[in-house]
Amino acid sequence: MSRVTSIRRPPAGYIETLLAEQPKLPTSPLMGVNQLRSKAVDHLATLTLPTKRDEAWRFTDISALTKLLFQPVSPVISLENIDVEHFYLEEATTRLVFVDGVYASELSIITEESGVTVVKLPSADATHAELIESHLGRHVDLEDNVFATLNTAFLHDPALITVSRNTAVIDPIHVLFIATQTGVASYPRCLVAAESGSSVTLIEDYVALHDETYLINSVTEIALADNARVNHIRVQRDSGEAFHIANCSVSVGRSSNYQSVSVALGAKTSRYNLNVLMDEGAECAVDGLALIADSQLADTHTCIDHSQPHGVSRQLHKCIVGGKAHAVFNGNIRVRQDAQSTNSKQSNGNLLLTEKAHVDTKPQLEIFADDVKCAHGSTIGQLDNEEVFYLKSRGLSDSVARNLLTYAFGAEIIDRIPIPSLKRKLEQAVLEQTSLLL
Amino acid sequence: MSEVLQDLVNRPYKHGFVTDIESDVAEKGLSEDTIRMISAKKDEPEWLLEFRLTSYRAWIKMEEPTWANVHYPKIDLQAISYYAAPKQKPKLESMDEVDPELLRTFEKLGVPLHERMALAGVAVDVIFDSVSVATTYKDKLAAVGIIFCSMSEAVKEHPELVQKYLGTVIPTNDNFFAALNSAVFTDGSFCFIPKGVKCPMELSTYFRINTEETGQFERTLIIAEDEATVSYLEGCTAPAFSSNQLHAAVVELVALDNADIKYSTVQNWYAGDKNGVGGVYNFVTKRGLAKGVNSRVSWTQVETGSAITWKYPSVVLLGDNSVGEFYSVAVTNHHQQADTGTKMIHLGKNTRSTIVSKGISAGRSSNSYRGLVRVGPKADNARNFSQCDSMLIGDKSGANTFPYINVRNNSAQVEHEASTSKIGEDQLFYFAQRGIDAEAAVSMIINGFCKEVFQQLPMEFAAEATQLLGLKLEGSVG
Repeated sequence: MSRVTSIRRPPAGYIETLLAEQPKLPTSPLMGVNQLRSKAVDHLATLTLPTKRDEAWRFTDISALTKLLFQPVSPVISLENIDVEHFYLEEATTRLVFVDGVYASELSIITEESGVTVVKLPSADATHAELIESHLGRHVDLEDNVFATLNTAFLHDPALITVSRNTAVIDPIHVLFIATQTGVASYPRCLVAAESGSSVTLIEDYVALHDETYLINSVTEIALADNARVNHIRVQRDSGEAFHIANCSVSVGRSSNYQSVSVALGAKTSRYNLNVLMDEGAECAVDGLALIADSQLADTHTCIDHSQPHGVSRQLHKCIVGGKAHAVFNGNIRVRQDAQSTNSKQSNGNLLLTEKAHVDTKPQLEIFADDVKCAHGSTIGQLDNEEVFYLKSRGLSDSVARNLLTYAFGAEIIDRIPIPSLKRKLEQAVLEQTSLLL
Repeated sequence: MSEVLQDLVNRPYKHGFVTDIESDVAEKGLSEDTIRMISAKKDEPEWLLEFRLTSYRAWIKMEEPTWANVHYPKIDLQAISYYAAPKQKPKLESMDEVDPELLRTFEKLGVPLHERMALAGVAVDVIFDSVSVATTYKDKLAAVGIIFCSMSEAVKEHPELVQKYLGTVIPTNDNFFAALNSAVFTDGSFCFIPKGVKCPMELSTYFRINTEETGQFERTLIIAEDEATVSYLEGCTAPAFSSNQLHAAVVELVALDNADIKYSTVQNWYAGDKNGVGGVYNFVTKRGLAKGVNSRVSWTQVETGSAITWKYPSVVLLGDNSVGEFYSVAVTNHHQQADTGTKMIHLGKNTRSTIVSKGISAGRSSNSYRGLVRVGPKADNARNFSQCDSMLIGDKSGANTFPYINVRNNSAQVEHEASTSKIGEDQLFYFAQRGIDAEAAVSMIINGFCKEVFQQLPMEFAAEATQLLGLKLEGSVG
């Protein structure tokens, strides 16, 4: 069937205009950082914004984004704790708050817990050079990735966290990104390096204080050395008019364990690329939930790349789609030739609540080793009438029954979040949204 | 890998002989003149020449697609000949007048054109280098109103039917290779089952490429009118040449109200030698249109040959309650590459589709399943079930799954599952302790793996497919 769709070419010079403010960034005392930035700027010259013609962006139209010119962030508006404390999590004793991508020390708490080091790049010195040199920008692949490259070009105030050898950090670390300005582009950046035998829980949290348009273009890098364990919880609650484009690259070392739960509730258009590179005997669990309505679009692209033998991975991604919303999922599992005895399982469930809701999903297996066990499954459907009937026969009204079933569908993912207060908040948010969806 | 299995994998292609028949080969290269020449040679009506030229003009503006997971040097489409016909004829009256050399070829291939065919009760149309040379059982079929003949004949005798349906399922500008085929196709099979007729026998076409450096471009068109039923088989072989041959066929199926078309293929084109030299590039566009209510289009394919296979038999489910099916076994060995799958486009209400795909890759081959299930906004209560299983034999081969699922209707129910596995040591051990050697065990395991698909094949073909698979994978497990 031939379809002729008009593809809007992004306006020429768009990237250049965004870059206009880049030279105003203060030079970092660390040469490595300056080199990263200038390399990124050079690389940008070879890149163009993706269109629906690009396979990776086939279902996600960002032409609306390219029509808006986002300004750089203006100096931080002073926020008081009282304005934002409802976002805080009681369990997190270490909290890093970034307002429009700029670190807000007065809102943050850095406890001197043993084993955790939080480095602020503007004040970083030679003692941190090794961390920065060996990890920053080393895990994310900039090739063909215009957004991650833009983020790197604007690298100035990242959250840099290291956990030292054989340290188990009990309390989660909360990294909170708050959007307060409209029409701006911010470039949040986060790096977690878990040294061998360490364990840590990271909460990456995106929230907004208004309902206007802005662009979040974030990059997160997580490096697990051997026998490390990282719990990564990512919550995206941006404004309903925002654009949220995020890249997360994880390197899982030998016999390490990476657990991730990502929840996308906000943003008009959101895109999350998660790349997990698995070393020998590494394990990972990658779970996700997108709960969207109105004309929202949530796109999740994941790639779990087994490069060495004996890896185990498990993935469960769910989408609940209401209104005229559009969910996209592309889950790639790659097993390289050397990755014998890999065991990988992926499933994807999609619940379409309304007539106009739609979903594009593409679970993908690429396998080059023979002694492997790999499976994936994907379903698309609506609530089971039998189940609704069962609940109604117990005296629940139609809407309550549907709401409960929809909630239960999403709760499977939320239940995997190990932080009770965050779980409660999200459960509340999901319940509210599901009752609105129906 | 055990030696027995090694031998098995490396068994040479048994259809790799060239038949020494004088061929009428056109000059190499493609231009509007070539097309006019083909058209004139075949004595075609004006509208068909126009059809070809429109396609050609669309084609020259197109670029060869590169998205498939296959790798090959760019084909120089100007270096192949677009027309090769066995030099014959006054027109043949019966099978006895067919060139005996040709008959011997088919004898060697095991295609029973003669009495054996009578016993088997299968009507056959034989296509040799893109030209139909013989069609059996025509009269018997004509008695119930079925038209089964070569495309050239159909153009001459039933131009109104050909003109009405040609290019309606696969538009001339559909894709690069389909456009090329529309411009230069030389022959193929035409089949028309009138209203209410259940075809009394299996219809079959055998394709063979014989001449080196020709492209084979056949065009098949099958139309089943209201309440008609037909089962159609297609088999393919080619001689072993060290250069690559291009095979770019187009198959269009049209099923009207309550009609049922079942199309089965056993594809065994020459796959190249074990170092990946030579072999057929099989770039085929096949699509069925389930146009009427309650119509059904079913594809079954066993893909064992070709250096590169690039084919996605699809079903457009336009009529309400229509059904689409796709059953596939794709086996690759040595340096073969296959990127195959299906497209199920749900447009009508209550449409259902089933996809069962089994991929087996051995040697250094790569085998990809690429499929699309699309549910349009008006396709209420659409239902799809897809299952794609891969088996890897040896650690140098690759198996990929690329299913695209696009759903625009919330009453749809779509399920997809895929798995990858290998033949386990414990399975072989279990057979061994029952006194069954590795080779027989592998054959049984693979046949079990493919059973769901083989069950869909007509009986004669199922036996052939089982054997073919055995041959193909001999020696690849150990």
